[in-house]
Amino acid sequence: MSQRIGLSWLQLRHEKMKLFAAVSGVMVSVVLMWMQLGLMKALFASAVVLHGSLAGEVVVIHSQYEHLLHSKVFSSRLLYRLKGSPDVVSVSGIYLAPIEWKNPWNGEMRSMQCYGIETESPGLSIPGLADQLASLRQRDVFLYDRLARPRFGNVVGELERGADIKPELNRRRMKLAGLVDLGASFGIDGNLLVSHANFLRLFSERDPGHIDLGVVRLKPGVSVEAAQRQFQQQLGEQVLVLTRDQFADIELKYWKSATPIGVIFSAGTFVGFFIGFIVVYQILYTDVTNHLPQYATMKAMGFSNAYLRGLILAQSLQLGLLGFVPGTLIAAMLYAALRNVTQLPLTLDPARGIFLAAVTVVMCALSGLFAIRRLSSADPAEVF
Amino acid sequence: MNTTNGARGTAGDSRAESAGSSMPAVSSVIQCSGVNFFFGQGELRKQILFEVEFAIEPGEIVLLTGPSGSGKTTLLTLIAGLRSMQEGQMHVLGYRLHNPGPRDLLEVRRRIGFIFQAHNLLPYLTALQNVQVMFELQPNVSAEEGRQRAARMLEQVGLGDRLHYQVARLSGGQRQRVAIARALVGGPQLVLADEPTAALDGASGREVVNLLQALAREQGRPILMVTHDTRVLDIADRILELQDGRLASHSTGALSKPAAV
Ligand SMILES: Nc1ncnc2c1ncn2[C@@H]1O[C@H](COP(=O)(O)OP(=O)(O)OP(=O)(O)O)[C@@H](O)[C@H]1O
Ligand SMILES: [Mg+2]
Repeated sequence: MSQRIGLSWLQLRHEKMKLFAAVSGVMVSVVLMWMQLGLMKALFASAVVLHGSLAGEVVVIHSQYEHLLHSKVFSSRLLYRLKGSPDVVSVSGIYLAPIEWKNPWNGEMRSMQCYGIETESPGLSIPGLADQLASLRQRDVFLYDRLARPRFGNVVGELERGADIKPELNRRRMKLAGLVDLGASFGIDGNLLVSHANFLRLFSERDPGHIDLGVVRLKPGVSVEAAQRQFQQQLGEQVLVLTRDQFADIELKYWKSATPIGVIFSAGTFVGFFIGFIVVYQILYTDVTNHLPQYATMKAMGFSNAYLRGLILAQSLQLGLLGFVPGTLIAAMLYAALRNVTQLPLTLDPARGIFLAAVTVVMCALSGLFAIRRLSSADPAEVF
Repeated sequence: MNTTNGARGTAGDSRAESAGSSMPAVSSVIQCSGVNFFFGQGELRKQILFEVEFAIEPGEIVLLTGPSGSGKTTLLTLIAGLRSMQEGQMHVLGYRLHNPGPRDLLEVRRRIGFIFQAHNLLPYLTALQNVQVMFELQPNVSAEEGRQRAARMLEQVGLGDRLHYQVARLSGGQRQRVAIARALVGGPQLVLADEPTAALDGASGREVVNLLQALAREQGRPILMVTHDTRVLDIADRILELQDGRLASHSTGALSKPAAV
């Protein structure tokens, strides 16, 4: 039955402290859920930043490739065969390997991820990279990841002060030639970019004819799926030809199964849900209990159980709405603060917003439904 | 059929109805016979009402008196469909309350205007909203019409200048007048009141009862009012007296009065 005079809201707002407590409970729950889901998403997103930066629609890897830290090389001749295809604009081979970074200030050894790219056709589209390709061609220089973890030393700060930074990489003295934004991720605390030639100087044992990633840029209008199928056929089973998304999926799948991150943050999200549920339930339950005589009176006057249930359910949903909006605003502020500190790609995703709004509604409705059971104690025979 | 004969005939009527609707062909507002009621189970089972039998006809104002504990409130809750009948027959506003259909109790309650000892107003609403709330039960009345009728009703009980007062800011007598307005605004076919003056001083109690009587008379609504207050007995057409769960003989005698009128 409809509530034409907004009974539920009039009753809710009558006791301001209780309203405030209930809304705060929902708010805390909403903030927690945003944080948990956001961090999980950001952590996984950080694992595929490189994948998103590949300057091509199709990626070629060895068929036994596992993930960025466990790659397997294949012959670059296979990749360069694709150059002949009328669908292809360019192909680029990328070397990758972990490298020893010796902190130039305290001598500590740390591992970084090193990418060797072709300076003519880098296969990566990272903001600011194009302008630095010329300097990357010099002998024994590298580009440093601005978003690397601070454990490598205050590289960015020192550079901005105008210092010459020349750390030892794999025991070879190299010069920092500039900065790019890539970011840390699972098992990778920071990245370096070097030219093919410098990569081979750093890793003298590597066979120049074998690469880790092949990036293929297609002509505009060419069907990615069709090209992928055709290239796979052309290159045989030794390599995998993937779309960029499929390539990123391999990485995500690996980290989802290899780390408990999914479980931890899902559990965290559930805790948020549970807190909201308990708070709203507690408040509605005590509210119904305190107002049993009122509900009994209404029952006596002919209000149906359905009407009274609707009243409580409406209150639970109003609490949900009132908590969701400020909770989301607080989450947005926390996201901004955390983005600055952790460099994680935290964003208020609208789709997740809709999802969380739905979760909040379900959470409040459940609380309401549990609290409604208390109504049966309102005995209209006791009102006289 | 405004006679006690009609009341006796209900036993036959109920059986006939039980196949279909519980609406009997009875014109009395309340008609009960052979009503027994018990509280408790087993050893503790105690009979509260004994063979209660009476009828109330349209437009009558009937007072129900009797010593404390004699079962007045219990009888009222049975009439109002707030408690399940145990033994005997009870018809209220044409609904059969012994073996009622699934919605019968609710339907009866909706047709009754209740006035309680304590006002039982909703504390989070204003006087106007407390009266308006009754139209939540009548979806065919628009919100605006409900508001206007509620306001008119409050004017009739002398609270036209207090429409937007919260319950907490009204005096005891004013609250009870709001309760009267709430009981009457939906156009009830029967008004049930249980000691509506008990919480009030003599003067405001009298005022409330007068008001209730005047409005009920004007609208031709029957009233059954439980009261201890001997000062208000004069408003009644008839007085029923319960003693230890039985209607006293002189009140039973009064049953024939409306038929004689
Ligand atoms: N819920 C209950 N459970 C058990 N016994 C009850 C219950 N309600 C009332 N009684 C008993 O039933 C008897 C009649 O109670 P009732 O409330 O009908 O009396 P009353 O005539 O309204 O009295 P009063 O004038 O004091 O209001 C009393 O002896 C009372 O103790
Ligand atoms: Mg009583």
